Amino acid sequence: MTTRINIGPVHPSTHGVLRLVADIDGDTVVNLEPHIGFLHRGVEKLVETRMYMQSPPYMEKLDYVAPMSYDEAYVATVEQAMGVEVKERAMWVRTALLELQRIASHLLWLGTMANDVGQFFTLFMWCFKDRDLVLRLLEEASGARMFYVNMRIGGLIRDLPPGFEDRAREALDYIEKRVKEYEDFLEKNPLFMERMKGVGVMDRDMAISLGVTGPVLRGSGVSYDVRKDIPYYVYDKLNFEAQVRSEGDCFARYKVRMLELRESIKLVRNALSKMPAGDALGMQVRLILPSAKNREVRVSRELPRGECMMYMVADPQRPYRLSIRSPTFINLAALGEISKGCKTADIFAILGSLDVVMGDADR
Amino acid sequence: MPTDSLFAIAPIISGYLQLSGTAAAVADTIAYAVAVSILIVAFDYIFGWVERKTIAKIQKRHGPTFAGKYGILQNMADFVKLLSKEHTIPKRADKLLFLTTIPLMLSLSIFLIFLLPFSPTLLETDIGLGLLVIFVLLSFMPLIIFANGFGSGNKFSAISAQRSVIMLLSYEIPLIFVIAAVGVLANGYSISGIIGAQSQWWFVVLMPIGFVVFFVVMLAEMERPPFDIREADNELIAGWLTDVSAPYYTLALFLDYSRMFLGSLLISIIFFGGWSGPFLPPVVWLLLKTFIISFFIMIIRATTVRMRIDRLLRFGWTWLLPLSLLNLILTYLLFIG
Repeated sequence: MTTRINIGPVHPSTHGVLRLVADIDGDTVVNLEPHIGFLHRGVEKLVETRMYMQSPPYMEKLDYVAPMSYDEAYVATVEQAMGVEVKERAMWVRTALLELQRIASHLLWLGTMANDVGQFFTLFMWCFKDRDLVLRLLEEASGARMFYVNMRIGGLIRDLPPGFEDRAREALDYIEKRVKEYEDFLEKNPLFMERMKGVGVMDRDMAISLGVTGPVLRGSGVSYDVRKDIPYYVYDKLNFEAQVRSEGDCFARYKVRMLELRESIKLVRNALSKMPAGDALGMQVRLILPSAKNREVRVSRELPRGECMMYMVADPQRPYRLSIRSPTFINLAALGEISKGCKTADIFAILGSLDVVMGDADR
Repeated sequence: MPTDSLFAIAPIISGYLQLSGTAAAVADTIAYAVAVSILIVAFDYIFGWVERKTIAKIQKRHGPTFAGKYGILQNMADFVKLLSKEHTIPKRADKLLFLTTIPLMLSLSIFLIFLLPFSPTLLETDIGLGLLVIFVLLSFMPLIIFANGFGSGNKFSAISAQRSVIMLLSYEIPLIFVIAAVGVLANGYSISGIIGAQSQWWFVVLMPIGFVVFFVVMLAEMERPPFDIREADNELIAGWLTDVSAPYYTLALFLDYSRMFLGSLLISIIFFGGWSGPFLPPVVWLLLKTFIISFFIMIIRATTVRMRIDRLLRFGWTWLLPLSLLNLILTYLLFIG
């Protein structure tokens, strides 16, 4: 006999407004269905009614954990539609900022994931404190703490402030040390390993057929990282590895993100030291003249949560259509599949390891 | 010291008032009840605050700072706020179970604290089978939680109720074996006898395995992390307390700390020599030990992750049970046989 329990949309650990309908038999999950759409704001349609550079703020609210990444993906799509080249220095600055954003996002994920397996807010608080260091850096670079809107066509709204590099290095050194500490804190706890290892296994074929991307895919042994495979900006000039683990369980996904945190720290340092001097400023918004030369464009970006693809049909003045393949939407679809047969408590461990942001899933 | 009378009350105030007979017994009982009640409330209140502050320090926060010096009045403010809130009873709930179980549990845990002696002279009663009585009554707790969980007519509470019974299955038998080993060592189950038997060596030294098992079981009994499986807030919202509204929730919080007090008291009495210690008065020693153990339990809360219910069951049967048996056999062979 199965019992149907309705988890969410108001629940302590559904990461916002996710509703899960679970059929459980005793303590085993027989069937699990995620219901989404509680945060649907119709952004794709909204964008059609706005001029090109009025849309970045909407884009940032999609994934409020890594806003700049979304902003950048959209602006890059517009740039491609316009046929605009990004300035050399702007490419480097954008790379550094995107990686900083990835660090912030992964730190937030780490805290919430630890919470999902029953860690009483300790790691959560620590991670938020460290994330704040990154947010401070991003604030220096863009002027805002959370919703930056600092991407402009061909560059950025402003260059990095003087002394940014030193402060960034200082913060990164500290965070690197802390990441090691967090790893020890969790992995030396047998209870944590028990909760993560062998839970929510998604093998290689399953991961590919479900279409998951990002750390979730790399946790299942597929080496696919947009930064590596379809390099954009200066990722091909920087030295980094796509982190892959083959186990496909919650622990593999956790480990991939932890390793990625380190890779991102390395990437920022690298980008900061190799950064050429020059001009990074983008065009003034009112000067943009949309051309329909390159009407249909598709841009792919590696966001902290996975691959984001933006498909745009450009019109003069405003986009005719913008379609977003958001990483969380696809990754979340895997939840039902991989939680079948696991225990009730594991649903949340798996959900935590998928790293969902509901704004991103619902758009 | 151990007597089998149920009413062996220490002369607390009857000596001052120069009473005798029944009047003395009544006066001392009332005095004792008042003293211990104050102690329990004070402990619950102070520990509510200490826990908030400790966990805040571990998490690099400040914790309560606003109400009173160092936020000492914060719990009072919360208490008043919670009591002033509306009390709702869910439509589906079984009113009788929903309304009686939490007060019943609270009174049960307070009653159990009353059964424990605080010093050689400050004790309500010293039953010959004291420890057994305590653990028999303590094992009712999960059953009352079960009744409450099913009584509130909420699916999360019902799951919590099922978990409560599974937890009972996983730790009750090892607990009994540890108690048996304590009985073997102390040559009886009277609590002052147990403390007396530790005058040379504390039982934590004599049977470390038994201590580990007992500590783990008490954590589970007190619903402290990593065994707060019943009210796992990340999964079951608040477990069996999901539908409990403010005034009853206050009682539940009170219950939580009373149980922690009880558990720490039991640990310090059974394994850390209870009130024995130099220089300071016995009550102070006992409370000091209890305080340190509670503090340790708080640190565990802040630093571990929750165990899964099926793992706890497996842990109970594959580790706790053999270890407790081993402990019993070793104790018998080393100290008796």
